[in-house]
Amino acid sequence: MEDIGSSGASGPSEEGGLSRRQFAKAAVAIGGASALSACLDRGGSPDVAQGPDDLSTLPARQHAWDEFLTRDDHGNVVAPRHRVLLLLNYAGEATPSDAERETAESAFRSLERAYKRGNDGLLFTVGYSPSYFERFDAGLPASVDLQKPRALASFEEPELDEQDAVVHLASDHAPVVLAAEEALLGEQSAVNGVEMDADISGVFERVDRRTGFIGAGLPAENQDVDGIPSSEPVDEEAPLYMGFKSGYRKNQATEDRVTISDGPFAGGTTHQLSKIRLNLDQWYQQDSRSQRVSKMFCPVHAEEDLVEGVGDNLGDSSQMEERSCPAHAEEHARTRGSVGHSQKSARARDEDGSPLMIRRDFDSTDRDENGDDGQASLHFVSLQRTISDFVDTRDAMNGTDLAERSAVGQRNNNGILQYMEVLRRGNFLLPPREHRALPTSNPS
Amino acid sequence: MKRRDVLAAGATFGLAGLAGCSGTFETESSSQFTTVEDRAETVYYPGHIDGMAMLGMGGSGRYRLGLMYSLPHAFWNISARDTNLARVSEDVSAHLMATIWDDETGTVLPTADVSADVLKDGEQVDSRPLWPMLSQTMGYHFGDNVALDGDGTYTARLDVEAMQARAMGGLAGAFEEGVTVEVEFEHTRDQLSNLTYEEFPDRMGDPGAIEPMEMEMPMSRAPERGDLPNVLGTGTTGDADFVAFAPDTTPEFADDGTTYLAVSPRTPYNRYPLPFMSLSATLTRDGKSVYDDVLLAGIDPDLGYHYGAAIDGVESGDSLTVTVDAPPQISRHEGYETAFVEMGEMEMTV
Repeated sequence: MEDIGSSGASGPSEEGGLSRRQFAKAAVAIGGASALSACLDRGGSPDVAQGPDDLSTLPARQHAWDEFLTRDDHGNVVAPRHRVLLLLNYAGEATPSDAERETAESAFRSLERAYKRGNDGLLFTVGYSPSYFERFDAGLPASVDLQKPRALASFEEPELDEQDAVVHLASDHAPVVLAAEEALLGEQSAVNGVEMDADISGVFERVDRRTGFIGAGLPAENQDVDGIPSSEPVDEEAPLYMGFKSGYRKNQATEDRVTISDGPFAGGTTHQLSKIRLNLDQWYQQDSRSQRVSKMFCPVHAEEDLVEGVGDNLGDSSQMEERSCPAHAEEHARTRGSVGHSQKSARARDEDGSPLMIRRDFDSTDRDENGDDGQASLHFVSLQRTISDFVDTRDAMNGTDLAERSAVGQRNNNGILQYMEVLRRGNFLLPPREHRALPTSNPS
Repeated sequence: MKRRDVLAAGATFGLAGLAGCSGTFETESSSQFTTVEDRAETVYYPGHIDGMAMLGMGGSGRYRLGLMYSLPHAFWNISARDTNLARVSEDVSAHLMATIWDDETGTVLPTADVSADVLKDGEQVDSRPLWPMLSQTMGYHFGDNVALDGDGTYTARLDVEAMQARAMGGLAGAFEEGVTVEVEFEHTRDQLSNLTYEEFPDRMGDPGAIEPMEMEMPMSRAPERGDLPNVLGTGTTGDADFVAFAPDTTPEFADDGTTYLAVSPRTPYNRYPLPFMSLSATLTRDGKSVYDDVLLAGIDPDLGYHYGAAIDGVESGDSLTVTVDAPPQISRHEGYETAFVEMGEMEMTV
């Protein structure tokens, strides 16, 4: 475990030179007891309410986050600012026992009692991969569409995440995600004044750890990384490195829309996870502001100068349907030779016009498996009822159909494809809360 | 412009408007910054040309790749009709360029997407997608300014994606899958700084273009008009020349009994083909429409890069309109950035 006390530029030896946001990000990235302790020393312990004693008051869905999250002035959900993803393998042989299941569930319930759900508290989900379910004789029920991860464009070649499970921890407070991780892994026996009844260290092995952040100020304060030019181009108000807001309410599916509706996993959803390397040198040094707006949103947004700053002025919608951008994607490809990312993606809609997924993604400085710092990237977490819904959305975003019949390139002037590279991808099932602990493939 | 760029440029200059296609403009390289007034919307002689060094070649299957570099220089990228001067940033040390061609026919390939990882001693020193580009001395290629890390031996690892044009003739069936090509090269600062730097103070800004350079590898040149079969007509828009023709044999993707209508757009003077355009055509006979649809990119070793469609036939007296729906979405070196932007339709009588 790296010692935050001696970690050079990102450690407390230069703590005086690190801003609060840099420090919080660095602590989460490093992780462990020393990082948590340094975080508490510097900022004190956040005053976070405990969760309910009666856990039956919590929703059946693990992914029911929105009702607990704060909203901005436009009604958009405000994403929790600090994140940890734990990639886990089941530690036992063969299939999990009921005792192991109880241990894991007990640990999850302890966390729920320790922190109330919300930006100010803790939100977490536990998901399981197709590889995990392969250990059971029975396959997953037909009501679940959980495909194995794969490359979804000719120009991507991701490593596949086939670990058994993923835990996603989220909070506005860096010490909360760190303490929750420590408690879950058995490194500390109590958290936020609540004794842990159990931990998962005996039933899972942590095989990877990914971290990150989202929200105004954090990308700007942490832009001294590979993939971002040294001119510090990231706007102070930007929630993400690319400089624009995302997650507009009307461009997200509702939690109902992404929830599995029947079968033993009814109340669950699927969790797609990609690690995407960002290369924003060209984005910030060679593209103009108007080109960035055109490529991120839609050519109309650039031509009519619709986006101010990071795009807060757009309200609760990225103004795609309102400006007929998806419907005109092919025409724009033909007559401009350039199409926008949101414009293409907004073509993936169901028969009721709803988006197919919810973005719960965040930026990162993780460089590699060891969590070493220094590369701008994005952990793209999306929730959708079926993995097919994700594939459909990604297909729409690829714009292959548009490039085939126009001046649009496979990646050139094709949204933001040029600036991102999918390094890893994994698919997971987020069972309903009652089956979140080492479920069988067909629980009763 | 940022102060550090001024220092890097090492020369004084006047503030210059960049928006729009006429008026004062500026060009730069790491060693010079020039200002030319009143550039027209045509191809023109640049203020200077940076010499290039051949770094090496590589290949995989029928793909062949040649890698070159020069001193870093500014260029213009384009989205729709929105051009933007991509300046030389302070951390780059060279302008890296790749040309990709077919090993069997020598045809320069308009592949869809090329990205480069540059490694030294196994460590990545730069990584980026390359812009599809057009320059007066080498035509269509892929390139960008990159940061190298001092003298030494480097490896460029280039991911070349499948070709984004219909392959015809001797290219049919090839280049549907991408490849990775590695080229090892030696770099010294002396080699780079000793490259020629040629100025054109007398012709700078005049209509015209520097001649294609002598290269050890194929260049992307469109056939002379006289070398194309059954020429139907010619036209000019945005300073680009267009030749419409109908080859005797139709490509294999076209239905039997159809005629292949092809349009070959090329730069004036140097005949470089212009890829990544949206083109469409209408063909009318006796006032009735025979064809009214898009033309799709195609490439043939003999016909070159062009745009085409299978139609029901073309007859003497037909009237053909070729429309540029979107101008070439390729970055441009100096002298090509004002032309090929505002483009319209051309009427030809067969």
